[in-house]
Amino acid sequence: METLFALLIGLLIGTGVFLLLSRSIVRVVLGLSFITYGGNLAILTVAGLREDAPPLLTLRGPYADPLPQALILTAIVIGFATTALVLTVALRAYQVAGHDDVEAFGDSLARDPDAQLDMAADPEHQGPDRPDPAEAQVFVLAAVPRVRLPEDGP
Amino acid sequence: MNSLAWLTLAPILTPLGFGLGLLWPWRRPVRVGLALTGALLTLAFALGLLFATADGTVLVGELGGWPAPFGIVMTADQLTAWVSVLGAVSALLAVWQAAADPDPVREKHHLLALMQFLFAGVQLSFLTGDLFNLFVAFEVMLVASYALAVLGSTREQLREGFRYIVMNLAASALLVVACGLSYGVLGTLNLAHLAQRSAELGPNTTVTAVGVLLLIVFAAKGALFPLGFWLPGTYPALPPAVGTFFAAVLTKVGVYALLRVFTTVFVQEAGVTNTLLLGLGTVTMLYGALGAASQREWRRILSFLVVSSVGYLAFGLGVGTVEAVRASVGYFAVSVLVTTALFSIATVAERASGSPLVRVRGMLDALPLLAGCFLLCALTVAGLPPSGGFVAKYALVRAGLAEGSPLALLAVASALLSSLITLYAMLNVWRGFFWGQHPSWLPVYRVPRPLRASAYAASALVAGLTLFAGPLFARADATAAELRDNARYIRGVLGDRPVMIPEPPTGGEVK
Repeated sequence: METLFALLIGLLIGTGVFLLLSRSIVRVVLGLSFITYGGNLAILTVAGLREDAPPLLTLRGPYADPLPQALILTAIVIGFATTALVLTVALRAYQVAGHDDVEAFGDSLARDPDAQLDMAADPEHQGPDRPDPAEAQVFVLAAVPRVRLPEDGP
Repeated sequence: MNSLAWLTLAPILTPLGFGLGLLWPWRRPVRVGLALTGALLTLAFALGLLFATADGTVLVGELGGWPAPFGIVMTADQLTAWVSVLGAVSALLAVWQAAADPDPVREKHHLLALMQFLFAGVQLSFLTGDLFNLFVAFEVMLVASYALAVLGSTREQLREGFRYIVMNLAASALLVVACGLSYGVLGTLNLAHLAQRSAELGPNTTVTAVGVLLLIVFAAKGALFPLGFWLPGTYPALPPAVGTFFAAVLTKVGVYALLRVFTTVFVQEAGVTNTLLLGLGTVTMLYGALGAASQREWRRILSFLVVSSVGYLAFGLGVGTVEAVRASVGYFAVSVLVTTALFSIATVAERASGSPLVRVRGMLDALPLLAGCFLLCALTVAGLPPSGGFVAKYALVRAGLAEGSPLALLAVASALLSSLITLYAMLNVWRGFFWGQHPSWLPVYRVPRPLRASAYAASALVAGLTLFAGPLFARADATAAELRDNARYIRGVLGDRPVMIPEPPTGGEVK
């Protein structure tokens, strides 16, 4: 049983790593989920697999260890939240980048060369850029060298 | 257990509470006031921890009243209190910077609240005494940091933020596996109990393997060489105030976890992990310094210096003698404060010149005080004599020479060489930004006074490191002595008696 689980965990994490290495956002997110679930199964397995053993002390023993299940529950909740967050970031990137070429997200959020200048998928949600230099106060740092004009007349 | 046990929870709950309060749409002065109060209170509680643990007591806060190995505990010893104070100081300066530099769009989307959540996560990961809770703390911290990394969604932020998020999620998954494996091998997750069990078990290859796995995870969080590729891209993309705190503290959380785990918990077969740390540190120092010399933008140069400083810390930890750990603890303080100061200076410099590039020339006339601050920080980060950085690096190098193994000597050579390269990189900044004649056609923008003041305050702290290097290293000495003898930590958390598994409740429902 443990061997079977070990193989399954290896398969899950291997698939996850394979997907993580691809350039598409959805595949990356799926890959992370696979790795997370492989990890969760690993916790369950190393703590000992038991059939028909209740984790509650009020039932008839022998008992299963309830702690790994609590750990996995926590890990699942956190994994769920982070997956949602990654997907939100991916959606936002699509809105800002202005094209639906998911693969372009992999190493650069480059503009689609064929797109028009300053075109965004969602013009309502542009990001703030650096403070506008036009509003900043300019003061002259060094004295401007005075040009001496030739004097006329004798 | 102790009347001051509530202090272990205070630095976590304070920013959490203020962060929740900041979600309400207050007017800006109220929001800024709340954020500053939160950071100040956190600092006050962290200082309280520092004084409460100064005599070597280990404060233990038991959540839900469950005793140590069975429930989740918050623990604070000297090392914890030390890093907690440093984190709180950096947090205060970051909030100050955010307050001085209004950013309406990001603030509307809860920049200040997210910063408080980040502080709570950082303090939680410092103060937790439980391996799985460390994972939870990392996630609290990282979720806040993911949000801050992409808040504002400029192209650069989204691209680099996505890389940062994926890298950290993969590392977190590995941390869960490591938690599961260490529970499987040792049957507990409490750090003190793990240390006790692993000592009972003696040198054991499985435990060492789990230790190496944890080393990989923390190396990814702390940006040690092969796993730190995301850092120099991510940090320059962040908004200035947030970038300051990220650079100063977030990588140091990984280093703190390394310090905690490899001086307290997995000490039975220290040779393997120490050699790994030493090797990684040797490469990381050089990589960071060379990277810094290769860049031409303020924040990129400084980000590589962050990588380099993690290398120095790993070097001290890898040598592993008391003297080396003492030097590491001292360097930890130097590194956090000088990084905060340098990033604050970079914020002012970028605002004044209107460009992220350092090749502006001649800003010395416009910003003489900033130039002085930069010079002080540059000397500190390069480790030249009249600075706290020199004392810390000297201690590191001496510890490495005292160890005397070929790898340690190589690491010492690498440390000296990368200090030299760091000095070169800093001189490049000095020459490019401050020195020379300012071109008259380039404007100089006025920087708000509070923003400049934050950079000066951070630099004053760096100067304080120089003036109070004696007490600082006395403190580091005490911390290192405590770390060498992990029995005190174990006894402080678990009590004097052997851990007894409570009897299952008899009678009642049992059939």
